[in-house]
Amino acid sequence: MKFHRIAGLLLKHYYTTTNKADRLFDMFYWPAIDLFVWGFASMYISKISNYNLLSMLLGGIILWIFVWRGSQDIAVYMLEDFWSKNLYHLFSSPVRLSELLFSVILFAFFRSIVSGIAMAVLAYLMYSFNLLSIPIAVAGISVFLLSLFGWIMGLFVAGLILRYGQRIQVLGWSTVWVVQPFSCVFYPLSALPLWAKSIAVWLPTTYVFENMRAALAGSAVDYSAYFLSFLVSLVLLGVMLLFVYSSFRHSKKTGLLARGD
Amino acid sequence: MNSIEVRSLSKSFGDVKAVDSVSFSVKKGEFFGLLGPNGAGKTTTINMLTGLLEKDSGEISILGKNPNEDWEYVKNRMNVSTAYFPISDVLTVRQALNVYSRIFGVKDYKRKISELLVKFELSHLQDRRIILLSSGERTRVAIAKGLLNDPEVLFLDECTVGLDPDIADKTRTLMREYQKEKGAAIFFTSHYMFEVEMLCGRIGFMINGRLLNVDTSANLKRIIRKTTVEMVVKEGRAKLLRDFLLEEDVDVLFMEDNRVAFEVASSGDRLYRLMNKIFAQGFKLSDLHIKRPTLEDLFIKLARRK
Ligand SMILES: Nc1ncnc2c1ncn2[C@@H]1O[C@H](COP(=O)(O)OP(=O)(O)OP(=O)(O)O)[C@@H](O)[C@H]1O
Ligand SMILES: [Mg+2]
Repeated sequence: MKFHRIAGLLLKHYYTTTNKADRLFDMFYWPAIDLFVWGFASMYISKISNYNLLSMLLGGIILWIFVWRGSQDIAVYMLEDFWSKNLYHLFSSPVRLSELLFSVILFAFFRSIVSGIAMAVLAYLMYSFNLLSIPIAVAGISVFLLSLFGWIMGLFVAGLILRYGQRIQVLGWSTVWVVQPFSCVFYPLSALPLWAKSIAVWLPTTYVFENMRAALAGSAVDYSAYFLSFLVSLVLLGVMLLFVYSSFRHSKKTGLLARGD
Repeated sequence: MNSIEVRSLSKSFGDVKAVDSVSFSVKKGEFFGLLGPNGAGKTTTINMLTGLLEKDSGEISILGKNPNEDWEYVKNRMNVSTAYFPISDVLTVRQALNVYSRIFGVKDYKRKISELLVKFELSHLQDRRIILLSSGERTRVAIAKGLLNDPEVLFLDECTVGLDPDIADKTRTLMREYQKEKGAAIFFTSHYMFEVEMLCGRIGFMINGRLLNVDTSANLKRIIRKTTVEMVVKEGRAKLLRDFLLEEDVDVLFMEDNRVAFEVASSGDRLYRLMNKIFAQGFKLSDLHIKRPTLEDLFIKLARRK
């Protein structure tokens, strides 16, 4: 990996973002909509009942951004190179797949930080919800583990795109939503029926959100669950990297890379 | 040392043998042309040389190195342009060139980019997004990108498609100057015979994945052994001329009014001796048209033979 090539790729992602409304929209528009809808809904619920859902829901929405951006951005910035027929030029240049992956991951992380901070500020202004009411260690570990899981999902989709091309592009922005219901973002693991629970227990994200709720409620955080989640994520990351590389080699054989479609 | 050296290169897609045991070499500073009908395997060959496509078998050496092992050395010193891939359509011209100059680690890239923008008459378009450019303008951007890193080996896959005659001519001049100045090896494909003939020192013919003849255009044209001659003679003399030609064992193509067309061997002095005889017979010509074999004739001949 060479710094100047990664810098060149980051510059490309940056230009793509500022030149294309879509890429700015997904950073601010959709999470803001989520905040509006769930914020008002939980304010209404707390008015007609004794349940205060606000902090749980908003915390979930803001932290979920890290999974969402990590996963979707890796796939979509990869797709951008398909759409703009740029792969031909990238991979006939000295750019390596590792450099491209590293640059999209870094850029996705940067975008999730910007998006997360913007939403935290918005939540504070609208509902006086303070994200920092979560202990900083818990918040930091959550952001790290959720981003990591986002990258795992993103690499999975990137591997599929490299193998099958743009015809499966819809997976780029839909895959992450398949795991959301099982990640217990807005409700505890105990709220799931048995069959769903048996899927949820395998997801590192589940424990991150369980701990977030514990922290918000002022109860004890289970750090060993974080550690286990991290180990599972590392294994998954390794598997996904192998998958992406095998797809890349495959597309060099079939000529998909040269045609870029 | 050869800049490009290829031995028994092959690539199949399913049942299609796109490139079939092709061997050739391109010398340093040589302008090498690859001709062939659609689907002959030219682009497939280039894609394997640029590392976008994995070969099934064979050996490739670029600048004396194995591009799989010394990829960084090789790829920093080569580049590719084609009219079919517009670099990156959401970026502006300057942004795209910025990105690629970083990727190639170009020193003093701002000056380099400005220089290329002027050369390819793109300065006034530099802040326009590539998607909004006309196809010829995009092609010029792609060629400018191809020269960013002063490549020692440059692949041009149909890079003049869609350029207007003026820009196409300027581009050809720039390419030739670049090759002379830098001593770069240029690997060129095109369906425009005249530019291939004008630019390329040696030309290879590729058909059905096989590389047939590699030679200079003058030598290649000798494969077409016949020159066509058309003569216009005085009223009523055409039939006499035809009969005379037939006596001389010449292939007469047709006779129409006072026009006679025939074919003679291109090599040797057959044509001149025949002309002398015709004049000695007292035939007076009012028009004469001699058509030497062209690269296009050869192309068509080889393509139809398949
Ligand atoms: N990725 C691919 N998958 C399947 N077949 C392919 C692929 N790429 C090329 N081919 C086939 O391989 C053959 C050679 O194609 P190639 O693009 O190399 O031809 P070409 O000489 O560049 O033609 P043209 O003059 O039309 O550009 C064609 O029959 C083509 O259909
Ligand atoms: Mg081609």
